[in-house]
Amino acid sequence: MKNTNSQKLRLGSFVLIGTILFIIGVYLIGQRQNMFKKTFTISTYFQNVNGLQKGNNVRYSGINIGTVKDIGMINDSTIKVDMAIQEKIISHIKKNSIATIGSDGLVGNMIVNIVPGKGISEAIENNDIIESYSKIGTDDILNTLNTSTENAAILTSDLLKITNSIAKGKGTIGVLLNDTIMAQDLKQSINNLKTASYGASNTIAKLNAIVSSVETDDNTVLGMLLNDSISGKKLKTIVTNLETSSIEIEALLNNINTVVDDFKSGEGAYNYIVKDTSLVNSLKSTLNNINEGTDKFNQNMEALKHNFLTRGYFRKLERQEKKKAEKKKN
Amino acid sequence: MSGMHKIKAQLDSFLIEIGDMSYFTGRFFKELFKRPFEFKELLNQCYSMGNKSLLLVGITGFIIGLVLTLQTRPTLMEFGAVSWMPSMVSISIVREIGPILTALVCAGRIGSGIGAEIGSMKVTEQIDAMEVSGTNPFKYLVVTRVLAVTLMLPLLVIIGDAVALLGSYLVESVKGDVSFVLYFNQVFDALKFGDIMPATIKSFFFGLAIGIVGCYKGYYCKKGTAGVGKAANTAVVFTSLLLFIIDFIAVFVTDIFYDL
Repeated sequence: MKNTNSQKLRLGSFVLIGTILFIIGVYLIGQRQNMFKKTFTISTYFQNVNGLQKGNNVRYSGINIGTVKDIGMINDSTIKVDMAIQEKIISHIKKNSIATIGSDGLVGNMIVNIVPGKGISEAIENNDIIESYSKIGTDDILNTLNTSTENAAILTSDLLKITNSIAKGKGTIGVLLNDTIMAQDLKQSINNLKTASYGASNTIAKLNAIVSSVETDDNTVLGMLLNDSISGKKLKTIVTNLETSSIEIEALLNNINTVVDDFKSGEGAYNYIVKDTSLVNSLKSTLNNINEGTDKFNQNMEALKHNFLTRGYFRKLERQEKKKAEKKKN
Repeated sequence: MSGMHKIKAQLDSFLIEIGDMSYFTGRFFKELFKRPFEFKELLNQCYSMGNKSLLLVGITGFIIGLVLTLQTRPTLMEFGAVSWMPSMVSISIVREIGPILTALVCAGRIGSGIGAEIGSMKVTEQIDAMEVSGTNPFKYLVVTRVLAVTLMLPLLVIIGDAVALLGSYLVESVKGDVSFVLYFNQVFDALKFGDIMPATIKSFFFGLAIGIVGCYKGYYCKKGTAGVGKAANTAVVFTSLLLFIIDFIAVFVTDIFYDL
């Protein structure tokens, strides 16, 4: 069979396409394994790598920057992890960065996460060793879960006891749940509370109405006090006047006090009158004498009325009196 | 003839055939490096085996990519893991489905073709005529065909994988609204050399098996047209069985070296 040029062309194209596809595939896979990029190595130590393998991704702040190059045991509790990191990232990773082992999603591969450290630090160099931080592994979580489950079992058994007691009507809650009389009482109490709250709400509504009327009506005393500025000024003046008056009253009272003190302590007529007993006695005898004198004077005057010399004068006075009385009647 | 004797005779004939095939394979490798090299015939066979199988392999791969994605998608959605679809499909296709499916398709098309072609040449005594005329029929017919299929099958596998992934992407882009770049980024994130290299090496062995069995069955074809038909038929059946055995061995060996 003769080979035509078209056959050769087609075969050549087929072989070329197949080869190119293979090379592209190999290149793309290799690129992700950082085989065709310049890399530098940094290392870290872990106590547990949680199934990390060679070739797993290394991420810095969530970006894939390299792969795990090697994992080796240093001693019984220390594992050294070497990482091949892309050289263009070198300036961004600082010496105080921290490496942790994480998982790419819930069921994904293990990865090394490098997170920036706190504070300022120098850029990392080839073969540097950075700090590591061990997160809680699955085993630790399972251990904690185990403890939690045990606690939950104890709690449920206690809860079972409590619910049994309640069902049998023991304890306050049991009584509350099972006692029908108490339930009726409670129902009654709630009804009373309902009535009380209804009354309270009515009262509050009335109070609200009063307050609003006070706020708006100037004719009431409170409304005037709250709203009328002129009355307010007047009241202020009155209060000021009252204050002045009270000061003056105080001064007056002081004066009266002084006078009273003078009365009490001084040697004036009052003190003499109040305190001197001999004067009282002499005044008493004087008054007696005056009474006697007055009686005798009355007797003399009566005698004068009946004397012929003065009788005419007294009769004249009586007639004048009678005339005045008749004039008043008319 | 008693039952035991019958079984023994069958076992003997099977072992003899295995032995013959081993000699045949040994002769192939011996003749492979001997001059003269039949380049023109090699290219001709490459064309008829590679290019002419391309459409069949492409369609098969495309449909497999589509179907695999469509069938797996609901299950992955139940787990909320539909974003793992590119990874899952790519690993399945590149590691296993692509090579074995392409090899089976080629076993059907190329293996039976070789068996029938060489068988009919044997029946019509063309091979004897070639020997008489001084041409080495083994070198001209067997070495070129086996070499062609060995070289072409890996290429067909790679193209079949690519088409299958395109088919899978088509489903994902329609159902999951995933971009081309994101899909193939996830595909190549999931793939490792441990996936692509063993699959490619395995494909060479698949090609070799298809070529050797096809040529052997045709070369030692029994007389008559029935012999040709039987040669073509047994070539396909035996090759298919051999492909799965080789696949099992390849996976076993890969597991040791790559720790999958």
